Amino acid sequence: MKVKKMLAAGMAVTMAATLGLTGCSGGGDTADSGDTANTAAEGGDTAAASEDGIEKPEKITIMVDGTVFTQVNARDKFEARWEELTGIDLEIIQPDHDAYYDVVGQTFASGPENWPDAMILSSSYYSGYAEEGALWDMTAAWDNSELKASGRVTGEDVIENMKINGQLFGFPVTRGNGCVTYVKKAWLDNCGLEAPTNYDEYLAMLEAFTTGDPDGNGVDGDTYGVSAAGIIAVEAPYTNYLPEFYQDAYPSFVQGEDGVWYDGFTQDNFRDALTRLREAYAAGYIDKESLTNGTNDCRNKFYEDKFGVFTYWAGTWNTNLKTNLEANGRDGELVALPPIAELGAYTERNSPVWCITASCENPEGVFKYLIESMLDGGDMQTLWSYGVEDVHWSTKAETVCGNTYAEGEFHMKESLEKPGTQYTKAHIDPMLSIVTWENDPGINAVPEESKNSQQIFNDNCVQAQLIPSTEEMATYNGDLTTLKNSIIADVVVQGISLDEAYARFESEGGAEWSQMIVDSLNAME
Amino acid sequence: MSNKGKGPAIQKNAAGENKRPLLVSLHYYRGFYVMFLPVLIFAVVFNYLPMLGIRYAFCTYKGIKAPEFIGLGNFEKMISMPGFWTAFGNTLVISIVKLLLNTFMAVLLSLLLNELRSMKFKKFAQTVVYLPHFMSWVVTASVFTLILSPTNAGLVNSILIKLGIIDEGIYFLGSQDWWRPMYYMVNVWKDTGWGTIIFMATLSGISPELYEAASMDGAGRWNCMRYITLPALANTIITVLILNLAKIMNLFESVFVMQNDAVIKQSDVLQTYIYTQTFNSGALPDYGYTTAVGLASSIVGCILVLVCNKASFKVRGRGIV
Amino acid sequence: MKTKKATAFDYVLVLIFVLICFIMIIPIYKVLIDSLDLKTAYGMKLLPEQFGLAGYESVFTNPTLYRPFLVSCLTTVAGTFCGLAISTLGAYVLIQWNMPGRNFFANLLLFTMIFNGGMIPTYLVMRSLHLTNTLWVVILLPAINVYNLVLMRNFFEGIPGSLFESAEMDGCSPMRIFFQIVLPLSKAALTAIGLMFAVSYWNDYTNYKLYITNENLYNFQMKLRSVIMGSDLPTAVGGATENTVKNAAVIVAILPFMIIYPFCQQYFIQGVNIGAVKE
Repeated sequence: MKVKKMLAAGMAVTMAATLGLTGCSGGGDTADSGDTANTAAEGGDTAAASEDGIEKPEKITIMVDGTVFTQVNARDKFEARWEELTGIDLEIIQPDHDAYYDVVGQTFASGPENWPDAMILSSSYYSGYAEEGALWDMTAAWDNSELKASGRVTGEDVIENMKINGQLFGFPVTRGNGCVTYVKKAWLDNCGLEAPTNYDEYLAMLEAFTTGDPDGNGVDGDTYGVSAAGIIAVEAPYTNYLPEFYQDAYPSFVQGEDGVWYDGFTQDNFRDALTRLREAYAAGYIDKESLTNGTNDCRNKFYEDKFGVFTYWAGTWNTNLKTNLEANGRDGELVALPPIAELGAYTERNSPVWCITASCENPEGVFKYLIESMLDGGDMQTLWSYGVEDVHWSTKAETVCGNTYAEGEFHMKESLEKPGTQYTKAHIDPMLSIVTWENDPGINAVPEESKNSQQIFNDNCVQAQLIPSTEEMATYNGDLTTLKNSIIADVVVQGISLDEAYARFESEGGAEWSQMIVDSLNAME
Repeated sequence: MSNKGKGPAIQKNAAGENKRPLLVSLHYYRGFYVMFLPVLIFAVVFNYLPMLGIRYAFCTYKGIKAPEFIGLGNFEKMISMPGFWTAFGNTLVISIVKLLLNTFMAVLLSLLLNELRSMKFKKFAQTVVYLPHFMSWVVTASVFTLILSPTNAGLVNSILIKLGIIDEGIYFLGSQDWWRPMYYMVNVWKDTGWGTIIFMATLSGISPELYEAASMDGAGRWNCMRYITLPALANTIITVLILNLAKIMNLFESVFVMQNDAVIKQSDVLQTYIYTQTFNSGALPDYGYTTAVGLASSIVGCILVLVCNKASFKVRGRGIV
Repeated sequence: MKTKKATAFDYVLVLIFVLICFIMIIPIYKVLIDSLDLKTAYGMKLLPEQFGLAGYESVFTNPTLYRPFLVSCLTTVAGTFCGLAISTLGAYVLIQWNMPGRNFFANLLLFTMIFNGGMIPTYLVMRSLHLTNTLWVVILLPAINVYNLVLMRNFFEGIPGSLFESAEMDGCSPMRIFFQIVLPLSKAALTAIGLMFAVSYWNDYTNYKLYITNENLYNFQMKLRSVIMGSDLPTAVGGATENTVKNAAVIVAILPFMIIYPFCQQYFIQGVNIGAVKE
């Protein structure tokens, strides 16, 4: 009893004390924001309006993740070059990459006067913040932009896909990219196989890789076909690590062509996909440890020639895989497969977007001078794609990390953060750009295999749908996803029968939750 | 023990009742109040000021719009979630077993370390057992995934097969029966050594004369350990156990890095459950909701601590603080 | 005791410890071997397939690690000092059983250990105190650790009351008793708790992630973490594959402890001979 009284008394006293203290600091804050408002007003007076009536901002504050040059990678030079090109003062706030969304949340919570003008958001946070009204609607700005009128935009579908109820709150400056299936060329040759074009050939290849001796070490059956980090991935698009088995089946919610939403998990084609996975797992074609693998484990096994087929990021990663294989004394040549006939197309992840916050004083100006200019096909695009000349890239004759370049040959410089490696790109991966770029200076600097796998992906992909959040979704989708994943693991790894598995889906409430979410999605329109 | 830690020269009876008038006492202890001031300031600034945020537990608050009061809505939502009670039960079971096991192993290891004759070897062993503490959980999980691998790359399975105990590798981390034992084992590996640090420090405070006197009386090592070493540790063991009870609902990282889809039912604890809920909900994290979960966890921790503290009071005549 | 002959028990004990050390080391050994192997290995190996120090070379020659290293040293020393100051002061007051308000203070502290306001409120307080983006936040915030404070109090209780009494008879002030009797008699406790503080300061990255956006103020652990976690380490580093570098970084993270610890160890082994003053 005594303890309780003491606690209560203690709480009361400290609460009172703290209230007083926060009161003081609150007062301090308002004074601060008053100051900024004043300076902003002064800025407005002096800013010059351009011919299209869009005022050029004096200063732009942006919050970015680790995809923009970090401080150790000469961010100050990047900033200086940007300011030189625009004549606008740029302030970059760059939290640690891992905690980016925590810091974004904290910044939003600290009040609109502390919000940056623009920030990078991933697709899921993008829709969340858009719904909360924290982001500026840039639909009109985009429709009236010079960029759209220029006809250079090749990725209008990518932009369209980011619209929420027809409104655009964030601009994807690049495609989202996705995973493409790589096969070791040497293994195909050793088994006398061609690159597979349909599921039967794919399966035959896996069998040859599992039971035969594709690595040519004289031992049959010490390898297997394919490995993945999880039978199903934790993030959308969930099927991207084993697409050949899932094919057209999808474990989450899908909007059909008729505009009606349904749960892919309850469809017959998902049962077929599970059957394919279970058979391949039982036959040993799929890594037995797929459940517990991290992507790092998969890569290491791939480098060690444990398996031969790996579905992983298209583009730059092709070169990374190749270099690491070669460093390990293996043949690094990889065949990037076009999607097999049954799969039809790879799925492209939703790209992170540039958003303008609702508290930005001159959003049109920020859209024009910050976002639109990134894709100007000139100096600014070069800056965002490759960085600063003679800091991040150069055309001088020199030797970088053992590679010798002639005068005038575009190449990336040695990384400041990781000596011994060359920079590969800046914020915008040129291969993922959504505009045509005639004078791309670095077009020839990209390794052939990266370009090739990226091309195969870009030519054969569909956009992952942006799934809106509903109340039912927020309430039930966590449990539903956990249940689905656990059922998939049961079927594939433990060999539970499909009927039993789907009975479990019914009895543990999955079917009910799924229906509620589907109904709520269909009720939205 | 009776005269330990009492206020200097005031107490006249064993119950520790203070016979002085309050003002005299306040004056007498004035130096101590000054000394406590920095502690108080730290506690207020770094703990109590942020605690004002507990009010969000009764609101819905996503950081943009002002918090909206919803009463006990967050708590209702929490306990009505289908997987909540499983996760709640798992948290209690996993963390209490883990706490008892780790503490027991740490005490055992400390006692054994204390018995080592060779100083050099003792120093070496002590350094070695501390090392696992410095590996992050992510790295630990990936190394143990390999050691427990069902393929011939897995050390444990290879040994068991060689010894003829099993014929085929067991997928320890993917098996619903094996996951928890393996989880406890990895925890013992990682935390036992570091756990000894506080017990070793306590042991070093025992006067060697006590042992000498005891052995002169003909007590063997077993008796010395039982009647001198263990009682000296008892206080610390109980303190450590009760202090850790306050935190048991916070179990997250170690489970998060080791769980997988096949063992969700055995492994999902409150924090991992909430994490996946938020992650898969497609909505922004609701800070009101996470605060409510935190508050509920704190209350459970608080109850456990108070109950055990009371028990400790009954048995030993004093609590932990 | 040292003069006694070794018994069978001693031999068994040594054997047990050899086994324990073995078990403790195997997983770390795997990381160590991988860090010295220029080839990427998934499985366990006794020795590196292709020995090379390139992994360590690329960690140690990384010029961006020096500053974080200094930041780590600074915050660890300052933080451990603050942490010990708060813990010992608090613990000393908590053993004054008859001090009016003592129980209130004890519960006040215990309460903070159990309840907390969450991420956002803590951030807002730190921000309004202008502590964000300074090293103060990573030094001061973890300095109040009630867990350590209570353990410290636990040790202080072991100091014989007679010492306090006689000191007080001699007219010593509380402050003097604290510095001249309590602290010198608590070397083992100070080392143990100090070590716990130091290690948590050294390994801290949560506070850096949440409260610091200026990369110049990042500590060693933050940087190593980005090497270990970094999923897009671009390409092979001077002959070392990404895996080798990651494993080297894990080992490097353990090194400072292995260097410092032997110096702390004497305080554990010797202990404090307070028996001499025991009545």
